[in-house]
Amino acid sequence: MLKSILKGSAATLIASGIMAGAASAEEIRIYFNAGHGYDTYLEVFEEFEADNPGWTVAFERYQWPDLRTKLVADFAAGNPPDLVAEPGAWVPEFAQQGLLYNLDDLAARDRAEFDYPGDWQDASVEKNTVDGSLYGVQIHLTCATLLYNVDMLKEAGYDNPPTNWAEFREIAKATTRNGVFGFAPNAVWAYSMPWVMQNGGRYYDPETGKIAFGSEAAAEGVQFLSDLIHEDRSAPVPVTGADYEGPQRLFTAGRAAMIITGPWDINPIRTGNPDLNWAVAPSLKEVEQATIQGGVSLMIPKDAQYPEQAWDLIKRLTAVDVEVATSLQYSMTMPRKSWLNDPEVQADPILGQFGACLPYSRDVTLELRQAGKYNPAIDEVLNGAIDEVLFANEPAAEVLAAAEDEANAILANE
Amino acid sequence: MTYKTRRTLTAYAFLSPAIVYFLIYFFWPIAIEFWASFRSGQPLIGDSAFVGLKNYAHILNDRLAIKAIKATLIYAIGSVVFTLVLALGLSALLVGPVRARNGIRAILFFPYIISFVISALMWRAILDPYTGLLNAALAKVGLPQQFWLVDPDTAIWTLIAVSVWKDLGYAVLIYIAAIQGIPAHLYEAARMDGARRHHLFRDITLPLLMPTTLFLAVVIMITSLQEMALPYLMTQGGPANATRLYSLHVYETAFQGLNIGYASALSFAMFMLILLITWAQFKLLHRDIRHV
Repeated sequence: MLKSILKGSAATLIASGIMAGAASAEEIRIYFNAGHGYDTYLEVFEEFEADNPGWTVAFERYQWPDLRTKLVADFAAGNPPDLVAEPGAWVPEFAQQGLLYNLDDLAARDRAEFDYPGDWQDASVEKNTVDGSLYGVQIHLTCATLLYNVDMLKEAGYDNPPTNWAEFREIAKATTRNGVFGFAPNAVWAYSMPWVMQNGGRYYDPETGKIAFGSEAAAEGVQFLSDLIHEDRSAPVPVTGADYEGPQRLFTAGRAAMIITGPWDINPIRTGNPDLNWAVAPSLKEVEQATIQGGVSLMIPKDAQYPEQAWDLIKRLTAVDVEVATSLQYSMTMPRKSWLNDPEVQADPILGQFGACLPYSRDVTLELRQAGKYNPAIDEVLNGAIDEVLFANEPAAEVLAAAEDEANAILANE
Repeated sequence: MTYKTRRTLTAYAFLSPAIVYFLIYFFWPIAIEFWASFRSGQPLIGDSAFVGLKNYAHILNDRLAIKAIKATLIYAIGSVVFTLVLALGLSALLVGPVRARNGIRAILFFPYIISFVISALMWRAILDPYTGLLNAALAKVGLPQQFWLVDPDTAIWTLIAVSVWKDLGYAVLIYIAAIQGIPAHLYEAARMDGARRHHLFRDITLPLLMPTTLFLAVVIMITSLQEMALPYLMTQGGPANATRLYSLHVYETAFQGLNIGYASALSFAMFMLILLITWAQFKLLHRDIRHV
């Protein structure tokens, strides 16, 4: 009796082990940003599961730094997920290390039904191309531009938003009063780059092959921002932290008249303060009209267990109808040309304004990444330098020149 | 097989799961990290090459690493000194006939049992210069706005204050237990010899608490030297890298900078520094105390 019970138990254990093995063999693992778990994407996963009986989608969401930590650990363990979302700089970085799946063959095979890269805006294809091969597919393409509180500007006597630095400074001063700031800057270094680029400065100069954020133009841009904080007192010292929502929260609470942000902040503002009368303006023009470009790409690790299924999910997640539905529901801007031409998208005033800044927006570190020289340590150097200017009120020209030397030394050591 | 051998083998048999666990999950990764610390490129995830001691030598030229070491030493020493001084004072008060002393002890100990993530996020919200409770309270009483976490000069001290707030209850608890363990006849004899209250504290309590002080100093120093969660959650190492503690620097170097070989060298350098500081603490604070 005891023997038969033991035999039965063993058989059950073996069977359940086999079944568990079978179940896990049909699970596709996806890493995504915590804020991008949109219903439209969850519906895509449900459809995928319905079309592929026995398959499940393990949708794991993390903040970007945590996602990267987990991904690097997975690469080290030889157990990466099947599909990964990345915030803009990881595709060339990991592709150059041979860690990503080359998508050329898959894209060529399916071109008739899925026009990649033909239907994608050039900037988004450039970001995902390494040595002439495709390693990622852009799913969101964003830019940061000016948001302003219409009522506050009107109260201060301005019917229109600023178009250049002088107007911006004047309006920021005029709208500043007790507890309310004319402008709320962001602590993250990349948000200082619109000022640098608008003044003709840049992060990297491909002609000289050197870091260029110590130039006079770049220093003037950061100094302008610092002067708003320390001289005019029309902007608060930004708050450091793990998130970059501080300016959005001040704007939503009616405590800042202007902020610079991207489409990801549209919904938090709408839901946080439905009565707020606000609008989106084109980016400022000083020497040139410019702003930062961002976005998210999808990539398949080279050692992914199910690259075919991951590619199938990429096609579903970036389908035009999914892009349109996601952008209308969540105000996210998208990379496909057919999305930009969609009548519903063009009719949406907010999306339209963000869409309008995409053509003149630039990915700050793209040139350096394309040169195969990108090193996140350089971002750290720039971040520290901008902090010293904005927080400690150090002169931008000196600090950025020293940072440029340090960054170029890092490049030289590469 | 002798009885002694059987006993030894039995003991090892029982210990073997723990030994295997530590070998696999602690010592093996440490060995791999040590190997990686002598390599450039991408050891563990990609191509790498042996570079000898180059990674270790580079630490001396790494401006951010030097800044992180300085910030970490300030943070660790500040946390130890303020926690121990405050804990000693409070425990000396709380062993006496204080009303509601159990309630006060519970309140002091409460922060220690809160998750550090909750503590960090709570303090970040409270200390926000524009929307935080503390500045709102200061404004109510007519005091100027403060920039605790935003000013590079004050940010590290603010982190120390949060760390002290969190660890104080634990140190008080240990000190109270130690004070209660001091034999009463020592105080009685001293009183008979005319000793006053401050003499009792200085000449009996304080010396007899040296082993406890050493224990607390070592434990708080080691955890402070390894601190990462607090700056990661509250400031991300800013402003101007003022709160970029060493562990955060190692993490950023490894996972954001993908410089895994160098990050491994940084980790081992910190391991050696902690060993050195702990040895120095034992040398400075260790007293062979016997009371009869």
